[in-house]
Amino acid sequence: MSDERNRMLGENMRTGVYFCNCGTNIADVIDAEKVRESLEADGRTSYFKTCQFLCSEDGKAFLEQDLRAEMPERIVIAACSPRDHEATFMRVMEQVGMNPYLMQMVNIREQIAWVTEDPEKAIKKTVLAIKAALLRVELHEALERQELEVSSSVLVIGAGPSGLKAALTLAEAGRRVILVEKSPVIGGLPVLYEELFPDMECGPCMLEPLMGEILHGDCAENIELMTMAELSEVAGYFGNFMVKIRQRPRHVDIGTCIGCGECVEPCPVSGPNPFNCGMDEKKAIAFAFPGALPNLPYLDPKLCIRFTEGVDCELCSAACPMGEGIVVFDDQETLVERQVGAIVVATGSKLYDCAPLENLGYGRVPEVKTAHEFERMLASNGPTGGEILISNGERPGSVLFIHCVGSLEEGHKPYCSGICCQYAFKFNHLLESRLPDAEVHHLYKEIVAPGKDAFSLYRAARDNPNATFTRYNQLADIAVSCEQERPQVRIAGRTAIAADLIVLCPAVVPGADAEALGVMLDVSLDRFGFFEELHGRMDAARSKVRGIYLAGACQGPADIQRATNQAMAASGCILSELVEGRKIRLDPLFAEIDRTRCSGCKVCMKVCPYRAVGFDSAIGAANVNAVLCHGCGTCVAACPAGAIKGNHFTGEMILAEIEGALK
Amino acid sequence: MNALPDASNGQRDLAVSPEFEPRIIGFLCSWCSYAGADKAGLSQTPYPPNVNIIRVMCTGRIDPLFVMKAFERGADGVIVLACHPGDCHYKEGNLRAAQRHALLARVLEPMGIERQRCRFDYVSAGEGEKYVQLITEMVESVKRLGPLTTDNRGANP
Repeated sequence: MSDERNRMLGENMRTGVYFCNCGTNIADVIDAEKVRESLEADGRTSYFKTCQFLCSEDGKAFLEQDLRAEMPERIVIAACSPRDHEATFMRVMEQVGMNPYLMQMVNIREQIAWVTEDPEKAIKKTVLAIKAALLRVELHEALERQELEVSSSVLVIGAGPSGLKAALTLAEAGRRVILVEKSPVIGGLPVLYEELFPDMECGPCMLEPLMGEILHGDCAENIELMTMAELSEVAGYFGNFMVKIRQRPRHVDIGTCIGCGECVEPCPVSGPNPFNCGMDEKKAIAFAFPGALPNLPYLDPKLCIRFTEGVDCELCSAACPMGEGIVVFDDQETLVERQVGAIVVATGSKLYDCAPLENLGYGRVPEVKTAHEFERMLASNGPTGGEILISNGERPGSVLFIHCVGSLEEGHKPYCSGICCQYAFKFNHLLESRLPDAEVHHLYKEIVAPGKDAFSLYRAARDNPNATFTRYNQLADIAVSCEQERPQVRIAGRTAIAADLIVLCPAVVPGADAEALGVMLDVSLDRFGFFEELHGRMDAARSKVRGIYLAGACQGPADIQRATNQAMAASGCILSELVEGRKIRLDPLFAEIDRTRCSGCKVCMKVCPYRAVGFDSAIGAANVNAVLCHGCGTCVAACPAGAIKGNHFTGEMILAEIEGALK
Repeated sequence: MNALPDASNGQRDLAVSPEFEPRIIGFLCSWCSYAGADKAGLSQTPYPPNVNIIRVMCTGRIDPLFVMKAFERGADGVIVLACHPGDCHYKEGNLRAAQRHALLARVLEPMGIERQRCRFDYVSAGEGEKYVQLITEMVESVKRLGPLTTDNRGANP
C-alpha cells in the first residue's frame, strides 16, 4: 500500500538534500559526489547541495537563502546527529516560513563517518540512510505547535518551610498563590524546635520573618492561606487545574478574632495536646502552642462539651472581648473551588513509627522518647517549659541516643535518613550546657555528617568528655529493659548501659497522606513511598506529571536548607514554564486517536505512563490529552485496532524508513 | 552470548559466501541508545557498517509489525536497543518493548527466523563501548547464520 502512495507522492514532491561535509569530519570518509550520483540514479531527489559547515553562521545563511530560492516541499539534511543540530536547522526553516517538521536529519557523522573504516561501505550506508529519510520525509506532515491559555495561579500544598518558601517566592513574582495547610498552624515541624542544627538557630525565630511575610507582608494579598484545609479533588492538567479544597471548620471567625486568647482560660475541658505529643493537655478551644501562627485559637469538637455532650456551654464566647459570634459554634465544613496552572506538593515527611519496635521499649518504658518528643521537652513553649525531666520529675543523670532507628536496615528502611546524626549531636551540645554532669551515650550504625556545616557539632560531640559512642549492627541487637526502675540498654554481646532517658532517632518516612495524595494527583511515589521526581538528580523539583512540582521532605529525607532550596527551584520552574499572559506551546509530537477506529478496549489507557489517555464513554472511544502526552508512542504500538497515530512517528513513516534503508 | 552450533569452532558456515554483508535494521530510542551510538561515534571506534538505524522517541513505540516488516523487506537481522530498566525517559516504554520482544521472539523461530536474528538489549547514553560491542556481535552472528531467505522476500526485490 505504502509503496504506491510513496511513489505517487515522491514524483510530485520537490525534495532537496543538504549534505554537510562538516569540514573534513564527514568529507574525509564520505564523498558527497558519489552519494549524489547514487541518489540521482534513484530519482527521488529534486536537488542535492553540499555545504562545508551547515551549522555555522555562513552555513545557516546558505541554507536560509537556498530554501528561499529552491522552495522545496521537503528536505533531508545529512550531517551530524539530530541531537546536535536538528533544532538549529528547524529554526532556519521557520525563519523562511517552512514548517520545521518537513525535514528529516540523517546522522552521517557520529553513526557513519566516524565509525566506518572502508569509505566504499560508508558511502553505501549513507545512501541507504538518505533513501530511508527521503521515503520518510515525503510522508511528514506540517505539524503546528498548538497554544493554550493558562492560569498562572499556583496551589501550594503544605505550609512547612518548603511550602512557605515556595508560596512567598511565587507571590513576590506577582503570582496568585493558594496555600493549603491541613493543621491549624503554619511553619511545619521546625517551628516546634527551638534550636536547630547546624548553628543552634531558634526555629520559630528563623521562620518568623518568612511567616510574617506570608501573613501580612507586601505580597500577602497575593497569598490565600487556608489552614485546617486539605485538597479533596483535582481535575485538569498543566496550565488548567481545577482543584477542590475541603475547608474544615475552625469555629473561630478568622477575619475578626484578634488572637488575644481570652476565650481559652474559661474553657472547662481539656484533652491531650497533639502539638506536645500528648505529654500535656490543652483546652477545647486553644492555640496550638504559644506563639503559633496564624495567631488564632481553634476549637476542637472532639473535646468541646457542646459537641461531645450537647451541653449549652458558651463560656469561651462570653469571654471574647470582640463580642458574640466570633466563636462560631455552627461553623461548617466547606468545599472551595479554585483554578490554578500548577501545583507544588510540599507535604513533608514524618518519623518512623517506633511503637512496633518492642525491644526498644517505646510505649512500654516511660523514659523512652522519640527525638520529636525530646525536642518538645527542650522547647520553652513545650510541656515541661524547656526542662529536661523524666517521669519521676527529676533531671536525668544520663541520656542515651539510639541513632538509625529504622534507617539503614532491610526490613525497616534501607536508606540513611540524613538528618538524625546532626540533630543527635545538637542534643549532645544542648545537654553539655543544660545538664553539664549528665553522661551522654550514642548508639549508632553509621555516623553521617556531610557538607561544610555538620562537622562542628559532630566534633563537639566527639570532644565531649561525658559522651561515649557505641556502634551496633541492627535494631534486634538492642534490648531496653527497666531494671531496678532505671532503664538499661543492652547491646548483643556487650555489657548494659544504664540510662535515665533514652531518645530514639527514627527514620524519616513519607507523610501519612502521601499515598492518597499521590493517587489524587496521579503522581507516582518511589519504592519507599516518597513522591517521585521526574529525574532524581537533573529534575528533582518536578514530578513526572507536567505542572505538578515537588518541594521538601515529601520526596525524601531533607533538612531545612534542602527543603527551602527545592521550594525555590520548584518556584523557578513554575515562573519559567507558566508565564502570565504567555500561552503554553505544545510539542506536536503527541498521539491522536481516530475515534471511528477505536474499539474502546482501553489498552492505551493501561500502557500510558502519564495517564494522558482518557475515555469518552458517551462515544465509547479513548482520547489523548495533548498537554499530558509526552509523545513516547507506547500507546500507538499497543493499539490493536491501529487507531492511534503518533505524530511525526506514524506507522507509515517508520515503515517507509525501513523500506528505504533496505533498498 | 548466543551459542551457535556453527560458531563453536570459530568456523563460518560453509554455505555462506565470505562476502556476505548482512543488512540489519537497528531500532534505537532517542534518549539512551541513540545517544550511546553517538557516544561510540565520538570515540571514533570503528564497527561494521551493516546496521542502519531507525530512531524512535521511545522503544515503547516499536510495533512488532516494524520488526516483521524489516524481515519481509530484506533485513537479515533486527536489533532493538533500549534504555536500561529504570532509566527510560518515558518511565517504562523500554519495559513494554522488552515484553513485546519476548512475545515476538516466540513466533519468529516457528517462522524460520532464527532467534539470533532479532536481538534486544539495553544501551545507556554513556555506553558507547557497549554499543560497538553489541553491533559487532550482532553483525558477526548474522554473518554466521547467512542471508535470511523466506518466501515473502521474493515479492520485494
